[in-house]
Amino acid sequence: MKPKKEKRGQFIIIAVLLAAIMIVSIGAIMHTAVTYYKHEPWEEYSTLIGDIEINTRRLLELSLANYTNSVIGEEDETILDTNIEKWQNDLTKIYPGSGIVLNCLSSSLQTNIRNPRATADFKLYITEIGLSGYEFSLTTSLSLAVTGATNSTSTDYTITAVVISESGNPVPKLNKNNFMINDAPVTSVHPSLDESNDLVYNINYQGTFPAKVEVWDQRGIRAEDSIFSLTP
Amino acid sequence: MRNLRETKGQMRVIETILAASIILAAVSFVGVLAARPTSPGYEMTDLEKMGYSALHDLDQQGLLASLVYNKGKWSDLRTALKITFPVDVYFNLTIYDLSGSKLNGETEETQIIYGDSATFSDAKNVGSVTYCLSGFATPTGTRYEADYDPVILVLLITRG
Repeated sequence: MKPKKEKRGQFIIIAVLLAAIMIVSIGAIMHTAVTYYKHEPWEEYSTLIGDIEINTRRLLELSLANYTNSVIGEEDETILDTNIEKWQNDLTKIYPGSGIVLNCLSSSLQTNIRNPRATADFKLYITEIGLSGYEFSLTTSLSLAVTGATNSTSTDYTITAVVISESGNPVPKLNKNNFMINDAPVTSVHPSLDESNDLVYNINYQGTFPAKVEVWDQRGIRAEDSIFSLTP
Repeated sequence: MRNLRETKGQMRVIETILAASIILAAVSFVGVLAARPTSPGYEMTDLEKMGYSALHDLDQQGLLASLVYNKGKWSDLRTALKITFPVDVYFNLTIYDLSGSKLNGETEETQIIYGDSATFSDAKNVGSVTYCLSGFATPTGTRYEADYDPVILVLLITRG
């Protein structure tokens, strides 16, 4: 009778032990699940995509700068397509084994010298990280508009010009090294705000009139505009 | 008599529950208090993450290309990277062209390095980061030269 009584409670003990083991196991699984996202190199993946996107944008800027800085008559209108093709091929060499494919869906180079513009749409595939069909569109442009001209003497002139980038905002921090008038350096450049509080540049130069104004932004893109009459 | 028998074994159940609680508490405390040794896998990931972030941030700010494509500014690039990383992190940046030729590092003046070569050969964990640039427009007289000229940056990074 005594041994039979001592065996009581065994199943409960086993059940409680099993429950404890299960709780510990679930804890371990939960820990793995939570830290998986922490240790998976998401930042590296986003940086790789960012690297490709930033440098594809720079490729557009380079192509537009190359086109707008070419001597008149020697411009290469295929420069954008040529550079994109080279970049697509070189990306696979730069990141071997990652399965990078950059498809260009469309591209265009607008050659209006007052407002040169390059646009392109891309689709990115990176097999290594399971990225498929990441689409991005890029536009780069520079616009120059000469809005007025005054003179203090027969050779001293002040030109007012607005320089706008693809964002639609005026380009800041331009100085006299960024401008040329009638193929000659300018005397000085003073930024100011116009009636609608937009940034304009007052460019002083000595020379003749009418004036052909050229501007280069920090990316090397060139735009050109002319003015033929003085503002009354 | 029956009631007496049914209450037998209760203490064992309570003991087991207490034992299980102690085990669970111990496991929880170990997780919270234990100083975990640095795992080589995680350390490499951290170093590479740091390297990628530094290069990407400099590129986003428009600094990286202007420093890389201007040989005279490689010492500025070294300074920029040194400022970006924590003080106990050493790095060696090598620039390659597409054919795999080294563009820097052959002479002491062209090295973009923080720490000496022994730092990297003796280090347990060295992260390696690859980053590419497509080109940069450089002023030439009154105009700009803007050619497609890709380079590959390989950044070795370790902790001292």
